[in-house]
Amino acid sequence: MKFRLSAMAVAAILAAGCGSLAADVTSDRLLKADSEPGNWMTYHGNYQSWHYSGLSEINAGNVKGLREAWSHVASRSVRGLQSYPLAVDGVLYYSGSYNQVWALDGATGEVLWQYKQKLNEDLVAKQTHSPYNRGIAIGYGNIYMGTLDGKLAAIDMKTGKLVWETKLVNSEKLTVGFTGAPLLVKDKVIIGAQGGEWPDRGPIFGVDAKTGKQLWRFYTAGGEENNGDARNTWLNNSWRTGGGGGWMPGGYDAETNTVWWGTANPAPLYDWSGPDYKTKGARPGDNLYTTSVILLDPDSGKLKGYHQELPHDAWDFDSATGEFVMIERDGKKYTVHPSKSGFVWVYDRNAKVQNVWRLIKNINFVQDIKPDGTLVGRRDMTEGKHKSLCPFIAGGMSWNMGSYNPKTGMLYKVGNEWCMDLEIKKTTPILEPMAQLNIGADFNIINPPDGKARGHVSARDPITGAMKWEIQFPEPPLASLLSTGGNLLFVPDARGWLRAYDATSGSELWNHNNGQGHNGGIISYQAKGKQYVAVMTGWGGLAGDDYAEFFKGTFAQMPKDSGIIKVFALP
Amino acid sequence: MANLANVLALVAALGGAIAAHAQATNKPGPMQSGAHASAPQAPSAAVPDAAAASAAGAFDPRQLFANVCGWCHSSGGREAGKGPKLMGTTLTDGELAYRIKTGKTGQMPAFGSALNDQQIAAVVTYIRNLKPEGAQ
Repeated sequence: MKFRLSAMAVAAILAAGCGSLAADVTSDRLLKADSEPGNWMTYHGNYQSWHYSGLSEINAGNVKGLREAWSHVASRSVRGLQSYPLAVDGVLYYSGSYNQVWALDGATGEVLWQYKQKLNEDLVAKQTHSPYNRGIAIGYGNIYMGTLDGKLAAIDMKTGKLVWETKLVNSEKLTVGFTGAPLLVKDKVIIGAQGGEWPDRGPIFGVDAKTGKQLWRFYTAGGEENNGDARNTWLNNSWRTGGGGGWMPGGYDAETNTVWWGTANPAPLYDWSGPDYKTKGARPGDNLYTTSVILLDPDSGKLKGYHQELPHDAWDFDSATGEFVMIERDGKKYTVHPSKSGFVWVYDRNAKVQNVWRLIKNINFVQDIKPDGTLVGRRDMTEGKHKSLCPFIAGGMSWNMGSYNPKTGMLYKVGNEWCMDLEIKKTTPILEPMAQLNIGADFNIINPPDGKARGHVSARDPITGAMKWEIQFPEPPLASLLSTGGNLLFVPDARGWLRAYDATSGSELWNHNNGQGHNGGIISYQAKGKQYVAVMTGWGGLAGDDYAEFFKGTFAQMPKDSGIIKVFALP
Repeated sequence: MANLANVLALVAALGGAIAAHAQATNKPGPMQSGAHASAPQAPSAAVPDAAAASAAGAFDPRQLFANVCGWCHSSGGREAGKGPKLMGTTLTDGELAYRIKTGKTGQMPAFGSALNDQQIAAVVTYIRNLKPEGAQ
């Protein structure tokens, strides 16, 4: 094993022709991620959430020759592989269900080490949004991973041994733990807990990257005393019912030293208040800072600013999907943030709304959202039955990431066209241990008014939303996208096909059937001087679980306990 | 603001209803917020005013479906969603109770520590009595 490691490290150094690449991943290195296109060092690819690889060895001219180079089967893959691989200096790292991590030779797939977190398995058996993991972070010689039972763990990236672990959430009491990837910012690891449907209050934590010491915490539901205290936006002390988890990693703007993070819906998801939501119902008021974008100081956890995208979210349309695409145009800096609602918000770097545009057609939870962010014609429902609320609870967009390509200037994004019928019920607030979900309605998925439920991938101007082209899919793809410097867009779809398109024109250039649906990440990286594309396969996530009954077809037979990472290269 | 003392006072004041409830439950079932004195452990577990007001309510499987089970069992269990349709299930009462208690890896959480035997029996009865929408 030692021989393999050192041989591989030497190979990586030789291939890159630069000894400094063997250095630790640090925040400084992440700031210049674009200068290392051979590595994918953080969940979003860079701090700007581009999900873009500058590599161009594989390109629109030769992609038809792309073929599988190697694969690795992840054990215990209950609910598939939903995570994002990372690749640093020729080694590929990825996490799977039950907080397992593997390090593989990026060129051959040979296993360098595997790590299995010791979990409270009794607790995991009680969790609904479990046992998947959606990603890891790398820094200071460690792999960082949030665990299902509420810890942040640091694993030595060379040996695969546990360095430290810090308990951050009392998961035994609150049900929730961590499934989202952490974000390394300077010498801190930032991670948000699961939330939205549970009685916890969606805390986000700042932890010392070297020692594991918890440095700060920010409660997204109700804020903290002396730090964004917003409990007056929850009448009758309803802030205690919680929600608001920051369950996906956000972005970082180094110029202003600001972390951008998205937050989930308040609990219960559906409220019987109707239009009188400011004074009546389960949680009267705007419910800050749920379904919001929050700006935090990474050093202190202090709230620097926020924008609540949906005041008093009554539809479970989280802002927590974690994608903050930071771009510059005509000397002005923007942050583009897609949300489950089907709308995309465009901010300046102080979270002032510059534009709002819609990615999907079937939206009726509001009549519209104005370019300044104002909601028009809210559909605030009362107790009882409601027909055709759009989009469906799984969202007009889910948590799978889009891709911004600086060469084409386009944002590529998956949109979902589906709706739901529901019956809202007056429920008792849930606060206690193992209380599980706090939804507040019975519901079922239905077709939208304009036809069959479906998905699409479109190429958009990220600021205006103007569409250049769109590709239809019979079911919404639930995996993330990758665009590259080779003028390619990769789309892993729900049925199991991985397709490559010309990023400029949208014409399909290559496809390959991976044998099961995709519900995770996709990256490109370099090992021994050669470009690879790595994609997660495996089915059974919270959105995909509806496919077997609703879309039937191949989904009725698709396994929900299988996960394979597939890696492609040119011959 | 309600705190543990208020809840206990309320519980005491509503002694009749609570006594009946206590008889029906051989251990606290956390699914019923605030109704039992043993669960809240710390001041932070103090409940919102609305929870205290409804603390005396009996365990209601319909509420449980609207909050928890309905995430997967659509339309209150009348239709398949992420999980199977429960109305008209061919499972026996014992099989249903066992599945609720222990769950099924990757498909259903275990509710054996959240619900006591009587509450699980009430859920089974609810499932048995499910009728199509509109039927009485």
